[in-house]
Amino acid sequence: MTSCADLTRRRVLVAGAALGAGLVLGRAQAQTSSASAQPDSRESDRIAADFLGEATALPEGLALDLPALGDNPAAVPVRVHVTEAITDELWCEELIVLAERNPMPLACRFRFTAASGSADVAVRLRLIETMHVRALARMSDGRILEARQQITVAAGGCGL
Amino acid sequence: MANPPRIWISNEAPAKDEIVRVRAQVVHVMESGLRQDEAGNPIPRDTLERFEARLNEALLLDWQPETAVAQNPYIEFTFRARESGVLKMVWSDASGIFAEAEKTITLS
Repeated sequence: MTSCADLTRRRVLVAGAALGAGLVLGRAQAQTSSASAQPDSRESDRIAADFLGEATALPEGLALDLPALGDNPAAVPVRVHVTEAITDELWCEELIVLAERNPMPLACRFRFTAASGSADVAVRLRLIETMHVRALARMSDGRILEARQQITVAAGGCGL
Repeated sequence: MANPPRIWISNEAPAKDEIVRVRAQVVHVMESGLRQDEAGNPIPRDTLERFEARLNEALLLDWQPETAVAQNPYIEFTFRARESGVLKMVWSDASGIFAEAEKTITLS
């Protein structure tokens, strides 16, 4: 037996489902984007050169952990950490992460202080296509440490 | 606030000088400013611009996320527990403070 209240409930459910479908459609249509990948690493190299100044990057002391395959390009886990000992006399002042082919290659910037006592960060990035990710860290003694690694991603799903 | 930041901390009672790990995430759209709506109008940029973590007054980390940072920004960092006090985290976007969170750290 179907009561009047049941019928109303059913109607509400059907209406809700239709509304949900409409929302999904609306979201799908909103996916057009003017984001386009950088053709090469020139913009990224320019940002790196700004960061380097007069210094030369040393390919040591900095570890970049990211998956070889970014199965979700909208949120790729990236961890960067200075592997040499951080002391009260020697610490990491500033660190940048570059996603070389992204429309805006500078992914993020970190600043630490002597109080931090550590330089180990992890974030999630959106990557527009297969590219190299590069990290540069400036230590308090002026040295710049560098790490660079390639990552393959499924293109077009990053939501930029 | 509808969606308070989600915070995980490895140890709220660390030994002195122990390295403490913090994971934190906020709900934020991180609209890149590069997308268009169905009518072809650009969707205005709306991103998180800054995250700061302090233990008492001492700055531990200043993070500046850019467009490449994923929606609902996640940040994980470590710091040396030099003193007891309040670990304060503040997220800001273009319109000012977006979210705040605090954890009490007591040296054991």
